[in-house]
Amino acid sequence: MTSQRADCGNLELRSQSCEQNLLSRPDGSATYCQGDTSVIVAVYGPAEVKQSKEFLDKATLEVIFKPKVGIPGCSEKFQERLIRNTCETIVLTALHPRSSINIIIQVMHNAGSLLSCCVNSTCMALLDAGLPMSCLVAAVTCSLSCDGDIILDPTSQQEKEAKAILTFVFESRDNEIITSNTHGIYSIKQYYSCVEACRKYGFVSCQSPLGTTNTVEQ
Amino acid sequence: MAAHVNEVVLPGDILQELSDSEQYPKLRLGPGLRIDVDNVVVCKCGILRFREPSVFWVDTHQKRYVPVKGENILGIVISKAGDVFKVDIGSSEMATLSYLAFEGATKRNRPNVQIGDLIYGKLLVANKDMEPEIVCIDSTGRSSGLGVISGGFMFKCSLGLVRKIVSPDCQLMKLLGKHMPYETAVGLNGRIWIKAKTLSHTIAISNAVCCAEYMSKKQTEVMVKQIVSSQWT
Amino acid sequence: MAADFKTAQPVEYYRQFLKKDVRPDGRELGEIRSTIVNIGSISTAEGSALVKLGNTTVICGIKAELCTPTNDEPKKGFVVPNVDLPPLCSPRFRPGPPSEQAQVVSQFIADVLKDSKMVNHEDLCIAEGKIVWVLYCDMMCLDYDGNVIDACIISLLAALRNVALPSIEVDEETAKPKLTSSTSSTMTVQSLPVSTSFAIFDNSILIADPTNEEENLATGVVTVVTNECGELCALHKPGGSSLSESQIQECVKRSFSRGDEIRKLLDETFNSLDR
Repeated sequence: MTSQRADCGNLELRSQSCEQNLLSRPDGSATYCQGDTSVIVAVYGPAEVKQSKEFLDKATLEVIFKPKVGIPGCSEKFQERLIRNTCETIVLTALHPRSSINIIIQVMHNAGSLLSCCVNSTCMALLDAGLPMSCLVAAVTCSLSCDGDIILDPTSQQEKEAKAILTFVFESRDNEIITSNTHGIYSIKQYYSCVEACRKYGFVSCQSPLGTTNTVEQ
Repeated sequence: MAAHVNEVVLPGDILQELSDSEQYPKLRLGPGLRIDVDNVVVCKCGILRFREPSVFWVDTHQKRYVPVKGENILGIVISKAGDVFKVDIGSSEMATLSYLAFEGATKRNRPNVQIGDLIYGKLLVANKDMEPEIVCIDSTGRSSGLGVISGGFMFKCSLGLVRKIVSPDCQLMKLLGKHMPYETAVGLNGRIWIKAKTLSHTIAISNAVCCAEYMSKKQTEVMVKQIVSSQWT
Repeated sequence: MAADFKTAQPVEYYRQFLKKDVRPDGRELGEIRSTIVNIGSISTAEGSALVKLGNTTVICGIKAELCTPTNDEPKKGFVVPNVDLPPLCSPRFRPGPPSEQAQVVSQFIADVLKDSKMVNHEDLCIAEGKIVWVLYCDMMCLDYDGNVIDACIISLLAALRNVALPSIEVDEETAKPKLTSSTSSTMTVQSLPVSTSFAIFDNSILIADPTNEEENLATGVVTVVTNECGELCALHKPGGSSLSESQIQECVKRSFSRGDEIRKLLDETFNSLDR
């Protein structure tokens, strides 16, 4: 599945592509590319769980975030927690008590909008693993330039020049925000216009997995 | 027939027609579907299937096995603990197998089961809150094909492939059997055991099965022909 | 009786209260626990503050040290925030390396510090390319009763405003730093961000400043950071139940009024010190 950014305008996403089930050992895997940003995700589960991390009423969800270079630090932990909380909202963990679901995210290349790429990739990998989910999610990053223009799916250069970077995760049912993460200073009005701009594409992204699953299933 | 049948559905999709209780008074939902308040909601991605009179389920691609009561599975004995064996069936938890759950087994006459043995069994207990339990006898106490399996070759594959092979419309196993006699045991936990006359037959059959996952009927026929011809030359 | 009910069905217990728009501790839904700020609590630190938010207690100490700047930014000093959640503050934390929670809060505060431009890093320069200040801001939680992020940010803000740096010059002959006078100068804090956290209960009800109990029962949390110019510095919602536009609006509105309250409180506290 690929969707082209027709004119490379500011209110368009970069070309996206996704491939599922590309790793043989994990229970689910997916790679997702947004422009040059690419991430690969593996999902194991429901698998055995360590007794110390066991919950009697739900599955233990763990996210491991591997940066492209270096060892994971505080900011990786922050991302892990953000993605874990997002996944816990959509995965029906209550259906697999006393088991673990492990999500391993490996950054392949960061060319901007990394967080949204990670979330999208994770969602596709969870789909591939066949874990029960209440709905899908789609993440969109946008940046606000100094004169207040919104750029969707910014590249790392655009992120550097931006006044603020906002990432939203929308769920597929009512298209409401389940995760919001922002950097920089912006007004409440700008926040809403960013939400609206991203929401439009969140919806499109939620629909697009159809194409991918078709090829996998047949 | 309801809309969306044989179409791809995604988690979060609401099947409005199914939610209507008058149209399907005895609605039965299989894997991938659940009821949320009053709606039937999809929770796995796959193709919606329907069977008369009112059975619905989602055919998904999945690798990890989640135990379901009554399914036949292939497992490997991991340990002996008192009266039970622990058997790895590929799910999140080990299954237990009582040493009395074999044909003709009594307290005195214990079955000969060693660690590492391959077991073909049936799930007696399988729910999310309990350890799965398997048995190697049916309700009348007969083995009916279940028990320890020796020799042959076992390999793993996706759950979708196993379901495809055991479905009545799949001719692959029969076609192969016409040319190469073999024994097989198919575990719904994504494990297939095969024992043919020669090693090369076993390899050929297992390769054929692995390749058949996304093949149409016609493609499988062609593949079987190719394999058979390569075997004789 | 009430205690048994609470143990057996904590969520139902809370629901009964929230139905009547009140919380078990007597607060209204949007009410924030009483906030107490004490400035200059640690005499050996360059700046310090102790903040109590109900039972939640955080102490922040800032130590200044000298170091060499990076080659890329020779004029810029450093501010290094760190949050410590020791076993002292709650039984949920174990001794050993920092827990995930502590790392996440540290990172969030580092982000807020950077995004809101609280400190002008060039103010920390002593000699360009040679010596700059590095401020180690250690926030230690003494009592964990929920909403530790808000308490940490207030304590950091108060402690930064309290920082007094000795005046230092570089000796041209020896190229070593030396103390020029015994007086110390206060640092200017450019922006005054204040955070307000909300818990989402039963996927719909918003409660401000959640306690530990409320955080554990909540289906989601939102943290809104606002500055004194009526702008947002962060709107952080890590998953959890979804929020509608009007609910977000409500959070933002509440956090603006909360920001003003805290900034007033800090001003009053500093004024009382000067007298």
